[in-house]
Amino acid sequence: MPCDILSHMSRFLSLTLSLAACLAMPAWATTQCRAQFAAGVAPTITNPKLMPRTQEVCFESYAVLNSGISRTPLYSAEHLTRANVEAAKTLSRHDSFHPESSLPPQDRAELSDYARSGFDRGHMSPNGDMSNRSAQAESFSLANMVPQVHANNAGIWAGIEGAARQLAVSEGEVYVVSGPAFIGSDLQRIGNVLVPTHLWKVLYSPAQHRAGAYVITNDDTRTYSSVTVSALEKMIGVSLLPGLSQKIRDSGMELPKPASQRGGNRRKSQPVDEFALRDFSRTIISAITRASQHRGNQP
Amino acid sequence: MTQDFKPYANEADVLRIGDLEVENRVDRVTLTGDVVLTKDRAGLALAKELRALIGRVVMALEAEKQLPETVELKVTGTVKNPFA
Repeated sequence: MPCDILSHMSRFLSLTLSLAACLAMPAWATTQCRAQFAAGVAPTITNPKLMPRTQEVCFESYAVLNSGISRTPLYSAEHLTRANVEAAKTLSRHDSFHPESSLPPQDRAELSDYARSGFDRGHMSPNGDMSNRSAQAESFSLANMVPQVHANNAGIWAGIEGAARQLAVSEGEVYVVSGPAFIGSDLQRIGNVLVPTHLWKVLYSPAQHRAGAYVITNDDTRTYSSVTVSALEKMIGVSLLPGLSQKIRDSGMELPKPASQRGGNRRKSQPVDEFALRDFSRTIISAITRASQHRGNQP
Repeated sequence: MTQDFKPYANEADVLRIGDLEVENRVDRVTLTGDVVLTKDRAGLALAKELRALIGRVVMALEAEKQLPETVELKVTGTVKNPFA
C-alpha cells in the first residue's frame, strides 16, 4: 500500500503509526523515491533469486535498488528533464567516489573491491545528468556503480548516455532505468563485487507513449541491441516499468543512436556513426531463452 | 583544483578539466572525455590546469623506486552465478 494512502488514513490513526508502517515495508513492496519512476511506481523483482538482501536507496536525482549479493545496484532510475540536462552542462567539478553509508557494510561495495581490478566504477545513472552540485556528488556513490570494462564505459556506454540526454532535450523529459545483467552459469568477481555480463538502459518517452532498451555486453564492444522492455524484463528478472501498460512495455521504440562523446555536442553537423545497431543478436536471444528456462525450473 | 589531487594516492578523487574527467586510482590515473584549449584566457587557464596535473603524474611516477614494466592487477575470481 503506498505511503500516501496511509497518510490520508492518518486522521484516523496516529501519525507515528502510519510513518512506522511506511518505514517497516520492504523496499520492493513500496518506494520512497516515486519522483524517479514512471507513474511513480518502482520496478519489482520477478526472479526470486534477486530478492535477498536488497535495499532501495533514494538520492536527490536518482534511485537505486542495491543487492547485497552482487554489491551493485540491480537498477538505477532517473527522471531526466531538459532543464536538468541544460543545468548539468555548466558544472565544473571535484568529486569523490565513496561507499554508500546508508547500506549495511556486509551488503555494500567498498573502494577496495575495485582497487587494482582493472575495471572502471561504471555509473548507472550518469553524473553528466545531474543538475546541481549535491546531486553530482551523490552520483559517485558506489551504490550507483558496477564493474565495467573501461573501453565500454568511455565508448558505447557514454554514447548511450548522450543519446538519452538528447532525447530528454528534444522531448522535454524521459524516464531512464539503467542496470546490470548477470547471465550464464559463472560470473567474474572482484573483491566482493560481481561483474555483470551485460548492461542495459531503458528509455520511456511519455511524449511518444513508447519505451525501449539498449542492451550491450560488458566488454569492448562497439555494437548494441535494441529490445522491447518486456524482452529485457524477462532476460533480467525485473519488471522495470510496472506502472505502465503492457502495450507500452511491448512497444519497443526507435532509440536515438548512441553518438561518440568526443567533441561533446559541438559537432552536431558531423554525425559520427561509430556504434552499430546489432539486430536482435543471437547472444541476446539465447540469453533471454536461457534465463527464462532457468526460471522455469524453479520449484 | 589540481593541487589537492595526489596521483595514485587513493581510489576516490575525480576532477573535471573541460569535458575531461580525471579519475584517481591506486594503480592508474584515467583521463576520459575531451578538452578544447581555445586560443583565449579560458583556454590558457585549462592548459595550465592540465599541465599542473600531468606534472604531478610524472613526478609521482618518477618518484617510484621500482616502477614495473606493466602494472599488476589482482586476479579476478570466478563464482557460480547466484541469480541463475
